Amino acid sequence: MPISAADPLLDIAGLSSGYGKIGVLHGVNLTIGTGEVVALLGPNGAGKTTLLRAVSGLLPWSGSVRFGGRDLAGASPRDIVKAGLAHVVEGHRVFTQLAVLDNLLLAAYDLPRGERAARVEEALGLFPEIAAKRHERAAALSGGQQQILAVAQGLVRRPRLLMLDEPSAGLSPVLVDRVLVVVRRLRETGTAVLLVEQLIEKALALADRVYALARGAIVLEAGTGEADLPHRLEHAYLATAHVN
Amino acid sequence: MDAPMTQVRPSRADTLGATSTLGVALPFLALLVIGVTLPLFGGGYWGVIATRACVYWVLVSGLNLVVGFAGQIAIGWVALLTLGAYTTSVLAAGNVMPSLSPYLALAIAAVVGAIFGLIVGLPALRLRTFYFAITTLGFATIVTQVALAWQSVTGGGVGVAGPIFPKPFDSQWGFYYFCFGLAAICTWMTANIAASRFGRALTAIRDAEVAAEACGIAKPPLLALVFLFSGAVAAIAGGLFASLQSYITPDAFTLDLSVLFFIAILIGGRSSILGPLLGTILLTVLPEFAAPLVAWSTFLYAVLLLVIVLAMPGGIAELLDFKNRRPLESGRAIVPRPELLDRLLAAPADGGAGALTLEQVALAFGGVHAIDGLDLEIRSGQIHGLIGPNGSGKTTTLNVISGYYAQQSGAVRLNGAALPVLERHRRAHMRIARTFQTPRIVGSASVLQNVMIGGTIDGKCTFVESLLSLPRHRRDEVLLRDTAMLALSAVGLERLAPVRADRLQHSELRFTEIARALMLRPAFLLLDEPAAGLSAEEIGRLGALVVAIARAGTGVLLVEHHADLIFDICHHVTVLNLGKNLAAGTPADIRSHREVVNAYLGG
Amino acid sequence: MVESIVSTGLAIGCIYALIGITYNVMFSASRVFSFTAGTLGMLGGVLGSLFIARLGLPVAVGFLLALAGGVLLGIVTEIVAVRPVLKSLDQHLYVLSTLALALMVQQFTAIEWGTEARPFPRLFDIARGGFDQEFWLPMLACLTVIVGLELLYRHTLIGRAFLAIAEDTYAARALGLPERSLRMASYALAGAIGALAGFAGGEMLLAFFGNGPMLTFYGFVPVALGGMGNNRGAVVAGLLLGLFQQTANFLVGGIFASVAVFTVFIIVLLARPEGLAGAAVQRRV
Repeated sequence: MPISAADPLLDIAGLSSGYGKIGVLHGVNLTIGTGEVVALLGPNGAGKTTLLRAVSGLLPWSGSVRFGGRDLAGASPRDIVKAGLAHVVEGHRVFTQLAVLDNLLLAAYDLPRGERAARVEEALGLFPEIAAKRHERAAALSGGQQQILAVAQGLVRRPRLLMLDEPSAGLSPVLVDRVLVVVRRLRETGTAVLLVEQLIEKALALADRVYALARGAIVLEAGTGEADLPHRLEHAYLATAHVN
Repeated sequence: MDAPMTQVRPSRADTLGATSTLGVALPFLALLVIGVTLPLFGGGYWGVIATRACVYWVLVSGLNLVVGFAGQIAIGWVALLTLGAYTTSVLAAGNVMPSLSPYLALAIAAVVGAIFGLIVGLPALRLRTFYFAITTLGFATIVTQVALAWQSVTGGGVGVAGPIFPKPFDSQWGFYYFCFGLAAICTWMTANIAASRFGRALTAIRDAEVAAEACGIAKPPLLALVFLFSGAVAAIAGGLFASLQSYITPDAFTLDLSVLFFIAILIGGRSSILGPLLGTILLTVLPEFAAPLVAWSTFLYAVLLLVIVLAMPGGIAELLDFKNRRPLESGRAIVPRPELLDRLLAAPADGGAGALTLEQVALAFGGVHAIDGLDLEIRSGQIHGLIGPNGSGKTTTLNVISGYYAQQSGAVRLNGAALPVLERHRRAHMRIARTFQTPRIVGSASVLQNVMIGGTIDGKCTFVESLLSLPRHRRDEVLLRDTAMLALSAVGLERLAPVRADRLQHSELRFTEIARALMLRPAFLLLDEPAAGLSAEEIGRLGALVVAIARAGTGVLLVEHHADLIFDICHHVTVLNLGKNLAAGTPADIRSHREVVNAYLGG
Repeated sequence: MVESIVSTGLAIGCIYALIGITYNVMFSASRVFSFTAGTLGMLGGVLGSLFIARLGLPVAVGFLLALAGGVLLGIVTEIVAVRPVLKSLDQHLYVLSTLALALMVQQFTAIEWGTEARPFPRLFDIARGGFDQEFWLPMLACLTVIVGLELLYRHTLIGRAFLAIAEDTYAARALGLPERSLRMASYALAGAIGALAGFAGGEMLLAFFGNGPMLTFYGFVPVALGGMGNNRGAVVAGLLLGLFQQTANFLVGGIFASVAVFTVFIIVLLARPEGLAGAAVQRRV
């Protein structure tokens, strides 16, 4: 059955997940359309990282998650990456014992051998600052450069949806802007982005739509063009009642 | 006590998670009867097997405390059997000195065993699990090789005769009753320890070491006691073994034997006396039922171990745990009874009002300033909230106060006196209690036992008094049980007291931790994100409970994400950002503080 | 006399080092140690003797079959004793499951192969004496493994994937690396290395089921002293151990040599639980 233009690329309904006995997400609903940039905001402990981990198969979950029309239930992280969904995890975790080039080659692990080198060059082309250090060990990079490397890893597979977990954490303002410029460019190539961020203003400037997550459920969904957004967000974070 | 308790006073059986005291004792009584009457229906051959099972159990009962309760993987304990066997035999035979009475030889062997038990066991305090297991294996090999080489004393490969005990224990059945008696005594003693604060503390160290430290349990002295005891009984078992064999050579003490002991405990299940007892009997008797099995016995033991580890880590004990098969009522609600707190948190002798203060505390990890010049004051009877975004240093602050991290500058003071750094197991003695972000409890123990762990340091009896179930031990237990039930009733979980803790929901475990912390009658209580994972209604009840705890005189530090809970119940709030004090004041002040709102929202 | 001590010490040190590397390769892939490392060494010698001496197969065939046996045990270890345990909450169960498996293989060998040490065949038809193949075979094996691993880790993608899994399993999973197959492949590789150690050292150690526990202990010493997961440390520590043991053997005799080794081991470990070289890579917390 062909997917119509109206069908969202990522369709999450009633998603619940957690760690062992501790339930963190309670029935989350969220959609992302092809080529859309969606920001996911919320106070700490709300479950934003948990949500990303559930979608990319790192955590067990219940509910419904469909990506490109395909049901992701029971899919492993490897399957999900192959399907075109890349997850750049929090904390710029790259393989410090390996060279920059090797880090990217590993991202291309499942690609046919001939294509690997080309894709890696493509990713390096987006980030000249790490391209210059391609043979150095990732341990020699600064925190910010490691974050850029992690984003580059996510892009090697030319994903349809790229999920970024707080890419600005620990970065200087200059590097934050570098990363966000690339995110903006992604939108032009048709890649959808789910951006979890603490820097609300920057995220809102970049995104088409925004969701606010608090205490494991969506408390706000809006287009970034809507009026009074900062105030409504503040309310959603700190209030006891849910605002929609 | 004024008002009568509405619930039934828990019995000793409830502590052990059984339906009744008779229920607990019945299997042991049955074994006792069978053991005593064995000569009536068993022939001489079975007498030997039974004697061997008794001798093995003497060793395994002690090793059970090390492996089953304390969770130390001591695979090479046959070394102590070897030591005991040779010491007793050599002293009784008179190879090196005038021969001693076998009883005296046995007693000396026990002392030697205790010392070596300590030597073999103490590396456990420093080494990782696998490393410790390997060192015990190495030790077992060394002892056997020394026995082989030290020919002048041990007779080398030729061996030495085992001791013969005087009448009435020189006949086959006489000796059987001697061993049986010792086995029964060991069963009784280790069961006493299991149902004492020492046994519970051991399981706490095994399954929730961090929480055990917060309850004041110090690992080294406790493990030392257990290794001493275990070494002593293993050596006694060695002397009995030598007598049973009549003649011992180094190759009687194979690795296979060590494996048998170890597997008997694991098949039996941890934190159990009956399980390993049945396991020992099973493993001793099993090869006798089929001749071909004898050669394959160790292979079968290994298969059994693998099956148990993969399919049923709880072992026989879990199979026999009928009580915990009964389904729990669904839709359970936690209904705290804060009015009971006054009885529980009786006014302290030192008068009460005081403060826990942080002065310019700073701590950096690598280049990151986790806490950067923080001032904080928690006063008795007040609730102080600590909030801030992720990475702001909330939990680090709590860890510094509770002694898990040492601050690099600044001071943490309790009523003016500086708290010693990194002495986390001393905090309980100063009546500073805490809970953890993820509840740290002993899953295989009952809720009541878990809460009783909180009162370990209030016990007055010594290890030996518990071993022999002397009056002071029994008084301690009754007092501890009553206090724990009171704490459980205060937090609203008394109906779940006998239930195994790993069957509880996350929210119930959270309140269990609070009950455990209350056992210290804390002057200060540190709560680490207690609302995480709780429903809105449970958060409300938690809030009421904390308010009541404060009203009873305890100073509370509440680290939280849930802004609503903080604003509802706190008297003072400190907001952290990047390790610094961003704002401090009453909830009303903070709520309208522009910078706080921004910090939360980022930007 | 000195050259005898040195050649024996280095040769046996190479065997210990190889078992240490076996432990390390398994550890890098799964963060657990397996008791089957020593058993693999034992199997290498027993299978070599079985195929070549008893069944009369050509040396090369016997060699490959012995390695295959090691690979098989390595894979079985991963599937049966490690994978199920990694999922559970109690991390220490791996000690028991790998112990059980090692015991099973050990006992089976004792029953089927016998409890006496059988001779291991002479692999190359060269006259005995001087720097004999008994000594240089283990050294050659050790060198081959070290060079081979270096090539694997530096020049193949799968080798780099092994390094990635060893450093940060979570990031590797998120990146889409096939964590499970890589772990199984690591265990297969470890199996081959362990079997190689036993095969190359067969003449020296003989085909003896009792080598299992002996190698389990002596093969772990290089790991403990050289640092977990640190292959270079394992080699250095293994060679030192071999030399120390042979020297002590010569000076005070076999039994006390064992006591000496054990005592030094315990003392060093208690003084520096992380090993002399320290942990190879700091794990991400």
